[in-house]
Amino acid sequence: MLNLHEMEVNFGPQHPSTHGVLRVLLKVDGERIIDAKPIIGYLHRGTEKLFENMDYPQCIPHTDRMDYVAAATNNLGFVETVEKLMGITAQIPKRAQIIRVMLSELQRISSHLLWLATHAIDIGAMTPFFYCFREREQVLDLFEDYCGARLTLNCMRIGGLPDDLPAGWLEKLDEFVGKFDAAIEEYESLLTNNRIWKRRTIGVGVLSPEDAIEWGITGPPLRGSGVDWDLRKVRPYECYAELDFEVPLGSNGDTYDRYLVRMEEMRQSNRLLRQCMEKIKETPAGDIKARISRVVRPPEGEVYHSIESPKGELGYYIVSDGKSQNAYRCRVRPPSFVNLQALPEMARGHLVSDLVALIGTIDIVLGEVDR
Amino acid sequence: MMTLAAAAFAIPEPLMKYLVWPTIKFVIAFAIVQGIVAAMTLIERRGLAFMQARLGPNRVGPQGLFQIIADPVKLMLKEDIVPANAEKVSYFLGPILPLIPAFVVFALIPFGPPPTFTVTSVNVGVLLILALTSTGVYGIILGGWASNNKFSLMGGLRSAAQVVSYEVPFALSIIGVLMLVGSFDLVKIVRYQEANVWNVFPQIVGAFIFLVAMTAEVNRSPFDLPEAESELVAGFHTEYSGMKFAFFFLAEYAAMLVNACLIVTLFFGGWTLAMNNVGLTTKVMQSWGLGGALLGVLIFSAKVMFFMLVYVWFRGTFPRFRFDQLMDLGWKWMIPLALANIFVTGLVILLIQSPPWR
Amino acid sequence: MQVEVTKAKWTDKILLLDLFEGLKTTFRELFKPKVTIRYPEERLEPSDRFRGMFRFSFERCIACKLCAIACPIDIIYIDVHDETREVDGKKKKLKVLDRYDIDVKRCMFCSLCEEACPTKPKSIWLTTKTYELATYDRNNLYFNMQELEYWDDRPRFKGLEEGDEETPQRALPPGGVQ
Repeated sequence: MLNLHEMEVNFGPQHPSTHGVLRVLLKVDGERIIDAKPIIGYLHRGTEKLFENMDYPQCIPHTDRMDYVAAATNNLGFVETVEKLMGITAQIPKRAQIIRVMLSELQRISSHLLWLATHAIDIGAMTPFFYCFREREQVLDLFEDYCGARLTLNCMRIGGLPDDLPAGWLEKLDEFVGKFDAAIEEYESLLTNNRIWKRRTIGVGVLSPEDAIEWGITGPPLRGSGVDWDLRKVRPYECYAELDFEVPLGSNGDTYDRYLVRMEEMRQSNRLLRQCMEKIKETPAGDIKARISRVVRPPEGEVYHSIESPKGELGYYIVSDGKSQNAYRCRVRPPSFVNLQALPEMARGHLVSDLVALIGTIDIVLGEVDR
Repeated sequence: MMTLAAAAFAIPEPLMKYLVWPTIKFVIAFAIVQGIVAAMTLIERRGLAFMQARLGPNRVGPQGLFQIIADPVKLMLKEDIVPANAEKVSYFLGPILPLIPAFVVFALIPFGPPPTFTVTSVNVGVLLILALTSTGVYGIILGGWASNNKFSLMGGLRSAAQVVSYEVPFALSIIGVLMLVGSFDLVKIVRYQEANVWNVFPQIVGAFIFLVAMTAEVNRSPFDLPEAESELVAGFHTEYSGMKFAFFFLAEYAAMLVNACLIVTLFFGGWTLAMNNVGLTTKVMQSWGLGGALLGVLIFSAKVMFFMLVYVWFRGTFPRFRFDQLMDLGWKWMIPLALANIFVTGLVILLIQSPPWR
Repeated sequence: MQVEVTKAKWTDKILLLDLFEGLKTTFRELFKPKVTIRYPEERLEPSDRFRGMFRFSFERCIACKLCAIACPIDIIYIDVHDETREVDGKKKKLKVLDRYDIDVKRCMFCSLCEEACPTKPKSIWLTTKTYELATYDRNNLYFNMQELEYWDDRPRFKGLEEGDEETPQRALPPGGVQ
């Protein structure tokens, strides 16, 4: 019999607000979503398999291409995992650690700015997009000054960093850090108190803390539900243990809370950058790489290590057979992939308009989901 | 001059008065409106860009001015794609239907002091405009449905619901003005305002509701749900291309212009710049002949332009409403508010006309 | 640290203060300087470390092939033959470069080859500040040794200049291996 109530809609892969090539198979009753089924794989490049056929240093530029809006943290996760496998984590010089933290916090700011830009434009506010990109451009300029690239940074090496900071970089960073808080104020003046924004986000896609933990959600979506879990605090890596910052937590677990959490995270990242700029003055210039051989050949064994990427827990699992220069097996635990699994749960019962808000609030990057 | 032309072509005077002159005036008004609509596309993009820390189109001609010509030319040269499974007749009618009422309405709007710049002076002008503007939605529904695209269908349905719900507060908000003035005639409404005060001051609530409802009527941000690009790709005109798409576009901008003209006429004194018969009143302008009339048109256009820019400003600032929230706002807030406004206005008029303490 | 959801006062709600806050921001932005540039006429200078088009130096290269080994996607093709030559009166066995090709169309500009290069200064480097690499034919992006070394002498795309529109503009660097 003809079903007059339900309609199937293919939301994507070619759609303005699926953040790439996500396809969501929607079952809708009018505009109300009965079921949403994310279909992924349109951007699968076999990155994990590629890692098995490459030297460890050669993998680093490939990690750029997974979460292509947060390359520095991807690099950091990979090099830290290999360092852990080789047992040289303690040898990383202080200066290298601080620069790594600076780069990953800058990357967090730039990733969150991109998230805010796209999230706002999904919900219909066009202008924050351009304001966010204005500041993001400055972050990318800083990256360009440091490592020569803007998106695919390739800015970390096993055992340290490729290069020391160029002259004038810290002054430029100082200028950015000084202006950034005011910029956040500007974005917030357009959104935070706006009644339309509030109505569009409050109570949309509520995730209870229990659900969030069961789905394995990490990062801002988890903290938006009120679970105090930030790998920078609970399993500090690099020099995060010495730095003073707070982990923002939401209470309702809705889209608005996740928005507030990310906005606050940007402020905290800015604070971290200030502290790092102070700390780096105490370290000798040029001391950026541990003394290890050029050929990376870790001993036999396996290791899992994860860091707090802008989108959540980014983990690498590497098995080494001890003989070759490449990994026997490498598995990436991408935060977007895991966070995306909660989309059907969050979307059910909402309207089609909310679906774009939800895709935005999960903050997925398809390069990372499909790898 | 009228009699001279009539004598030259030997046209009877009544025909001249009721047919020829209005037609000429309408054609002129139509051309001007076309020009404004074309210019608006550039002004909107430029203005929006300036709010967003960028430059906007600046390639074609000085300051991107020739973009006004380049855009229509591009659209005309584009291939006109008709989806294979589209309902051909409705698909064709879709873009044309909203265009006709949107342009006909301009015959009713007094652009300047009568008689020169008023095409027709209908004594039920407001009602006629309301009736005509509300027919524009049929084209959108038809186009959305005929495209045979689920997103277009959703856009069309949203548009139908939205326009139907906002038609009510749109009309109710005017009633306060009509009660004050005591006439449906737009010229009389303007005359009333120059003799007293702009209607926006006694009717601030009505003006606010009108502003919101008129934005919703023409599907502009923050009420641009039928074409919400982040949700429905392009809504009802997803499948349209070339000149058909341009017609939708024209209709939308013409409707914007109509509504801006209406709010100026109803609440902001039309072509006058006067209060208590002091200032640039109709009488003063008429005494200056054609120059005064042109001045009136200029004042009117300046006011209209301001409201056109307000549309752009809104688009640059606000997020989009959700469908159910839009209905919520329309039915639960705007209509009761408009009714309360009518009630209070009536009460005040009654109290002033026959004070119980006397 | 708990993020706070601010509750608006009812007076603020009636006066639409939250909406005017946003309108104020966009209005103020109207008069601020714009950040975008008019690209072909104005252009941004890349930073000193910017990884752009390759440059190769035949003199410095010792044909060690380390760059080809370091390349993650194997786009550097090197052929070498041994030659005995007389250097400073002594007979020396030298490696001589026959072929040094880079398939730039597949390159991801990671600069690992530059890092691997043992000569000082580097014989392959990317800090040429050249980023306008678009061509109409993708085979034009396959460069051999000579092209990698001398592309700087070729005409460069300098943006549209007065009366220069007629001359065919080519993205940099032109040439190729036809």
